[in-house]
Amino acid sequence: MYTEFRFLSFLFICLGWVCVHPSPVKAQQIQAKFEKLSPKKTGVNFKNQLREDAQNNILRYEYFYNGGGVAVGDLNNDGLDDLFFTGNMTGNKLYRNLGNLKFEDITKSAGVAGKEVWTTGVSMADVNGDGLLDIYVCYSGKGAPETRKNELWINRGNFKFEEKAAEFGINDPSNSTQGLFFDFDQDGDLDLFLLNHHIQVINEMEFDVARGARHPYAGDKLYRNDQGKFTDISEQAGIKGSALGFGLAVISSDINQDGWPDLLVTNDYIEPDYLYLNNGDGTFSDQMTDHFQHISHFSMGADIADINNDGLADIFTLDMLPEDNERQKLLYGPENYEQYALMIKRGFHHQNMRNMLHLNQGESVFSEIGQLAGISNTDWSWSALFFDADNDGNKDLFVTNGYYRDYTNRDFLKYKGDYYFKQAVAKEKADTLHLVTSMTSTPVHDYFFQNTGNLQFQNTSITAGFGAKNFSSGAAYSDLDNDGDLDLVVSHLNETAGIFENKSQSGNWIQINLVGKPGNQFGIGSKVQAYTNGELSFLEQNPVRGFQSSGTHRLQLGLGKTSEVDSLIVIWPDQSRSKLEGVQANQQVTIEQSTSLSRPKSPKKASPLFTRVSAPDFTSTFSTVNDFKRQPLMLTMPSHIGPSMAQADLNGDGYPEVFIGGTKGTPARIYSFKDGSWEIFRGFRSSSDFTDALAIFEDFNGDGSLDLFVGSGGYHDYLASDESLRDRLYLNDGKGVLIAKSDFPSYTISTGTAVVLDANGDGFPDLFVGGKVIPGRYPETPESKLLINDGSGTFSDQSSTFLPNKGKFGMLTGAVKQDLNGDQTEDLILVGEFMAPTALINKNGSSFEDQSAQYFPKNLSGWWSSLLQADMDGDGDFDLIAGNFGLNSQLVANAEKSIQLYAADFDQNGSIDPILECYIGDDRYPYPSRDELLDQMVSMRSKFTDYATYSKAKMTDLFSKQELEKALLLEIQTLESMYFENTVNGFVPHTLPRLAQVSPVYSILATDINLDGNPDIVLGGNQNQTRIRIGKIDAGLGLVLLGNGKGEFSPLSPAESGLGIKGDIKSILQLETSAGKFLVFGINQQNPEVYKVQ
Amino acid sequence: MKKAFSLLVLCFFLPLGSILLLAQKQHQDWARIYAAELFHITEVMVTDVASPPVAARIYAYTNLAAYQVISQSGGKFLKGEIPTLSLGENQLKQSLPSPEFAAVYAMFLVGEKVMPSGYLLQEKQAAWEKWGLKNKLVSKKNLAEHLTFAKTVADQVLTLAKSDGYIQLTALNRYTPREGEGFWYPTPPAYMAAVEPEWRTVKPFFLKNLEEFDPKPMAPFDLNAGSSFAKQLDEVYQYGLKLNEEEKLIANFWDCNPFKVEFSGHMAIGVKKISPGGHWIGITGIAAQKQNLSFSETVYIHTLVGLTLHDAFISCWKAKYETNRIRPETVINEKLDPKWKPLLQTPPFPEYTSGHSVISTASAEILTSYFGDNFKFVDSSEVYFGLPEREFNSFNQAAAEAAISRLYGGIHFRDAIDNGVDQGRAIGKFIWSKIEKL
Repeated sequence: MYTEFRFLSFLFICLGWVCVHPSPVKAQQIQAKFEKLSPKKTGVNFKNQLREDAQNNILRYEYFYNGGGVAVGDLNNDGLDDLFFTGNMTGNKLYRNLGNLKFEDITKSAGVAGKEVWTTGVSMADVNGDGLLDIYVCYSGKGAPETRKNELWINRGNFKFEEKAAEFGINDPSNSTQGLFFDFDQDGDLDLFLLNHHIQVINEMEFDVARGARHPYAGDKLYRNDQGKFTDISEQAGIKGSALGFGLAVISSDINQDGWPDLLVTNDYIEPDYLYLNNGDGTFSDQMTDHFQHISHFSMGADIADINNDGLADIFTLDMLPEDNERQKLLYGPENYEQYALMIKRGFHHQNMRNMLHLNQGESVFSEIGQLAGISNTDWSWSALFFDADNDGNKDLFVTNGYYRDYTNRDFLKYKGDYYFKQAVAKEKADTLHLVTSMTSTPVHDYFFQNTGNLQFQNTSITAGFGAKNFSSGAAYSDLDNDGDLDLVVSHLNETAGIFENKSQSGNWIQINLVGKPGNQFGIGSKVQAYTNGELSFLEQNPVRGFQSSGTHRLQLGLGKTSEVDSLIVIWPDQSRSKLEGVQANQQVTIEQSTSLSRPKSPKKASPLFTRVSAPDFTSTFSTVNDFKRQPLMLTMPSHIGPSMAQADLNGDGYPEVFIGGTKGTPARIYSFKDGSWEIFRGFRSSSDFTDALAIFEDFNGDGSLDLFVGSGGYHDYLASDESLRDRLYLNDGKGVLIAKSDFPSYTISTGTAVVLDANGDGFPDLFVGGKVIPGRYPETPESKLLINDGSGTFSDQSSTFLPNKGKFGMLTGAVKQDLNGDQTEDLILVGEFMAPTALINKNGSSFEDQSAQYFPKNLSGWWSSLLQADMDGDGDFDLIAGNFGLNSQLVANAEKSIQLYAADFDQNGSIDPILECYIGDDRYPYPSRDELLDQMVSMRSKFTDYATYSKAKMTDLFSKQELEKALLLEIQTLESMYFENTVNGFVPHTLPRLAQVSPVYSILATDINLDGNPDIVLGGNQNQTRIRIGKIDAGLGLVLLGNGKGEFSPLSPAESGLGIKGDIKSILQLETSAGKFLVFGINQQNPEVYKVQ
Repeated sequence: MKKAFSLLVLCFFLPLGSILLLAQKQHQDWARIYAAELFHITEVMVTDVASPPVAARIYAYTNLAAYQVISQSGGKFLKGEIPTLSLGENQLKQSLPSPEFAAVYAMFLVGEKVMPSGYLLQEKQAAWEKWGLKNKLVSKKNLAEHLTFAKTVADQVLTLAKSDGYIQLTALNRYTPREGEGFWYPTPPAYMAAVEPEWRTVKPFFLKNLEEFDPKPMAPFDLNAGSSFAKQLDEVYQYGLKLNEEEKLIANFWDCNPFKVEFSGHMAIGVKKISPGGHWIGITGIAAQKQNLSFSETVYIHTLVGLTLHDAFISCWKAKYETNRIRPETVINEKLDPKWKPLLQTPPFPEYTSGHSVISTASAEILTSYFGDNFKFVDSSEVYFGLPEREFNSFNQAAAEAAISRLYGGIHFRDAIDNGVDQGRAIGKFIWSKIEKL
C-alpha cells in the first residue's frame, strides 16, 4: 500500500556524528545487558528519601510509597539528553548531561527544586512551542489545595527556567500524578491531559454516588491549549472525573489507527482503566469495555508499543502479582465469587490482579496474552517500558517494582489485629504507627524481558543486570551517551537513583529526530513505520510512558543485522507524511515535517473471508451455577459445556436441520436453516433437565432416515446416578419426527464424547460413549461405554466384554475411530483431561486393547479438550488435531515440569480432595491458596495456622509419603494444542502456531476455507468459567489456520478472517447449502453466531 | 491431714501473706482460676477467628472435658448431672488427689485438638503443670496419674467431637445466593463468604429434634408500604439515622464480632473481638466468681452454658440457612439510601433469626435457673476489647439488651430479635428441664 508514494521526501542527515559499529550480529545471539554506574562516576546522587514518622506514613497518606518520577530530554539542544528527578519529600534535581555519562547537578542555578510538597510525576514537553523543552511537575499529598498547585518551568535557554504555570492556566491544585502534553485536537499546539488520583479510599457503598459526580481534585482533567492559555474542557470533552479515579498512568497512542491520538488511563483499585478513543471532534469516548474483555485490577504503570511488529499499538498494564510461590501464597486470600459478581453487576468490568498485555489484532479487537507472553507476574510494579535494548528489531521490556511495606500480606490482615487485643491484655496502649513500622519490607529486583519474537518474552532480569533488590518507581530510557543504544534512568525509593548503561552486544540501529511544525516542534503524536525486507517496525512519538515519567524525544529503531532500511515513513500529527528510502543503519537522521506530503487516500481494505449473517434465536438461560461451591479445588467448571451441535437433513427437504444442545434449564432445540433464515423444527422435544454434551445424527436402525443420539453430560447438582445423566436415542419416523427410544441402555455417566463405529464388524453402527466426569467426585475416572447395535437401533451395553480396564480411560473429551493397524477393523483414539492420547485397538471385533504406546510418543499427557481427524498433509491417512488448555494461564507444563493432580479422601470425610501440584519457578508447590486448602480440609487448619508457614509448604508438608502414594495421581506434561501427523511410525506431534495457544480449544473444524485445495482449520475455545484467580481466558476469537497441504499452518488475523467472536466457543458446525457454505459457532450462554464463507 | 502438712512445710519458706493467698486459691478462688484458664482458650479462638457457631462448639467440648474429669473422678454436683452423649464404655471411675488439676489439663488437651492454633495451649499446659506442682495440687509422684486421667477423658471427649459431623462440613456444598429478592447476599465491606451454611448438620447435645425449636415464621419480604417487612425495614433504617449515645454504647458493647475488617486502600486489618458465646462464657465466669462457686460447680455451670450455646447456635443456624433472609444493610442500600451504613459491621451470614438473641436468651435462661433471678453483676467481658464495664440487674436484663442491641447496630430486623428471643428461651427451658429431671 505504500508504493503509492512516488516522491522522496527531503532527507537530512544529522552531520558530525555517524557511528561506525562493529560487524552486525545475529538477532538470536543478542542479549541485552546493562550496568549500573556508580554515582561517583556519573555525578548523579539524587535519592528519593522518605521520612516515615507520626505525621508522614502510609496510614495518613495512601500513596506514601509510590515513589518519584524521571524525565529525560535535551533541554539545551546540544544533542545530549538531560535528567530531571522528582523527590516525594526531597527537592527535585536537574542534571545537565556533560556527555560520556557524566552529569552535573544544576538544580540550584536552574532554580527548579520545586516546593516542599509531596511531589509526583514530571514531564518534559515544549509547552509554549518555542523549540525548547519545558518541565511540568505534579504535586499531591494531604496538604491544602493551594500548596499542591502544579508547576510549569518554562525553558528560557541556557538552563534558565521560569515558573509560569499560573500564566498558562495549568497551576492545577488537583492531586496530580502526571501531566501529558499532546495535540489531541490536531490544531498544532500541545494540549494537556492531567492525570489525578484521590487521596481517600471511597467506601464501597458510595461507589454509585461517587461515580456520578466530578471530584475537583481526584478527577482527571483535559486542558485545551488556546494560544498559550489552557482551558479546562474535561466535562465537555467526555473525560471522567469521579472520586473513584486513582490514576497511575496515562499514555497517548493512536490505538484504533484513525489518525487521532487516543488515551489509555490506568486506575488503581476498583475503578476500571479508561480507554479514551478520540472522536476527532474535540471529545473522547471511554470504550474500554468494548476493547478489553478483562483488565488489570490494581492497574499501575503502563506502556503502549508494537511488540510484534505488525504496525499496531499493543497495550500493557502493570499490576501486583508476584512471580514466586512464597509471595503469591502470602498474598492470595479467599476467592469471593459473590463480591466478584457484584463488581461485574456494578459495571466495574472483569478485573484480575496481574499484568495484562492486550495484543492489538486490528479492527479494535484485542486479545489479552500477558501470560502467554510471559510478562504477567512482576510483583508490585510501577513502570513498564518497551524498547529495543539490543537493537535486534524486537522491543524488549523493562519493569520497575517494589513496595516499601508488605501490607497486602494476608497474615497482616488476619493476625495483626491481635496486636490491639494483646496490648489490652497486657494493659498497654496500642500505637497504630507501631503496626505500620512492624510491617515487613521486601525489596525485589526489577524485571527485564528479552523479546524473542513470536509473542514470547524471556525473563533475563538477572543476566541483563537487574539482579539488585530494591524499590524502584519512575524510569525512562534514552541514549545518554550517544553510542546508539538506549540507557536507563531509574528512580529508587530511599536509594540513589540508578543510571544503567546499555552494554548489550547491539544490532544495527537508526535514531530519528523529528522536527515538527512550530507549536509542536518535537512532533508529538507522530508515527514512524520502517520497512526492511518486507518487515515492519513501528514507533510512536509519545514520550510520556511507564510511571510518572517521560522519556527521550529521539526515536530508536533496532535493525538487527540489517544494514539499511528500505523505507522510513513518518506520519505527522496532521497525517501528512514524509518518506525516506534506503536509509543506512547506525546513524541519527533528522526528518522535518515541513517537507512532508499531504495525507494520502486510505487504501481499500481487503474484505474478510467470513461475513456474519443471521443466527437462530437460541440463548440458554444465564447460568449461575458455580461448581466451585460443590468442589472448591477444581480449576474450571464442568457444568458449562454447551451448546453442542449437530446437523442433518431430517425430513429430506434439502434444507439442513441443526441440533443445538440444551443445558440444565434450557432444553435442546432443532432448527431448520432455509434460505438464510432459521425456523424451529417441530419434530423434536427435549427436557430442560439435561445438559447435552454432544449429538450425533446417524441412521441407527437402517431405515434410511437419520436418527439422533444425544450424550448427556454436565455436572451442576447432578448426583452420580442422576436420571438426567442418561444418554438418549431418538429414532426418526421417516418424516422427521424424532421419537425417544425407551429401551436405550440406562447407564448414568456424565458423557464427554461419543463416536459411532462398527465395533463388532456386523455392519451395524455401534457406539463408544466416553465418560467425562463423575459429578461431585472430580477427578475420579468415570466409566466409558461400548454399546452394540443389533441393527434395529436397539443397543446393549457390552462394555465389560469389549472394553479393557473396566472402561476407565480417563476424563474423556474427544474420540475418533480409524483403522490404525490396517486390519480392516475400526480402532479408537481417545483424548481427555489429565491423560495422554490413547489408542484402543480393535481385536477382531471382539474386544479392544490399549496399544497407545505403539501409536503415540511419551510425555503427551495433557488437558486435552477436543479432537478431530482429517487428512491435513494429503497423504491419504487421517491426521489428528487435538485441542489443549493452551499457554495463556499461570500454569506451566512440559515433560520435565509436569502438573500433578493428587486425589483422595485424605481427611476421610467422604469427599474427594483433589490437590493440584505444579511448578512455580523451579520447584513444585501445591496450587491451592491457604484459604482454599483450609476450606477443603479441616485437618489443614491446624497444620498451617498462618499464611507464612503455608507459603513455604510443599506437597510433602501437606501429606505423608504413604498418603500421596495411595492417592490417585494424574498428570499433565503439555498444555499445547497440537497437530499429530499420521506416519508409519505412529503419530508425530507438532505444536500448532502460537496464536492457537492463547486459550483452551473446545472445538475444531477442518475445511478448505480459502478454496486453495488444502484443508484449513478453524479453532474455537476460551474458558470463562474458571476460578477467580485464574481469571477469564478469553483471548481466542475463533482462529482460522490456513493449511498449506503439508501439515503447516498460518494464522489469519481477525481483519483477514472476519472472525472476532467473544465468548466460549464450544462447537463449530459447517453447513453446505445451495446458498453457499456457512459456519455456525455454538457459544456458551450466548446466541450462536453464523458466518457465510465468501 | 495431708494438706495441713503441706501448709506447715510451706510456712518455712513463705511469708504469712502468701500462705493465706495460697489457701484462698485452693479453697475459695477456683471460679476465678477456672475462668482465667478458660480465657486462654478464648484467646486462641480470637487469634484463629473462630466464627460464632464454631466458638460455641469449642466452648462445649473443652468445658465438657473438665466436667467429665470431675464426674469420672467421683465428683458430685448440686444440680442434676449433665447427660452427655455416649462417651463409650470405658468411663473412668477412680478418685484423684486433684480433680481440679486434671480437669483444667483435660480442657487444654481438648482445646489443643479442636482449635487450629490449639498448639498455643501447650505453653499454658506447661504453666498449669508448673503451677499445680508449685501449689501442691499434684506432686511429682502423682503428676503422671493426673495427666493420664486427663488424657483418657480428653480422648473420650475428642472421640465424641470427631463424630458430630464437623469434619464432614467441608464435604458439603458452600453457600450459593438464592435467586430472587429478599435473599441474603454477602455484605460490605469485605463481602465475606457465608459462615457455616450446613451447621444444622452438626450434632447437638440436647436438642434431639431441631424442628421443635424452629422460630416463628418471619415477615415475608415485601417492600409495599404498610407490610410488616417494610415497617421493620424502616425501623432499622430510622434507628440507624438517630442513635443516641446510650444506644450506640449498647450496640458496641454487644457487637461480639470476631473479625471486623477495616480497610485503608490496599491495607486491610482485621479487628478482633470475642464471639457472642465468648461473652456469655465471660458472664458465666463473673457470676461463678461472685457466687464463690466451688471448682465442680464452676465447671458444671460453664459446661452447661457451653453446651447450651452450642445447641442454640445449631438451632439458630438451621433457621438462618432455611430462610436465607437478606440483611437490612443490603435492602436499605438498594432501596432506601445507598449511603446508609449500620453502626456495626454486618456479620457474614443470613439474618433470621438473630444469633445473639437466641444464644443470649438461652444462656440467661440457664444462668437464671442456676443462680436465681435478679442476680446483679458487673459485666467486664469486653474490657480487653476496649469497651467499658457494664452493670446488669439480672441475666435476663443482659440478654434482652444483647438482643435489642442488634437493632441499634443496624444488623437485624425486629422479628429476628423477638422471635430469636423466644427461640432461645424455649431452648434454655428445654435444656434446664432435661437437667432437672435427673
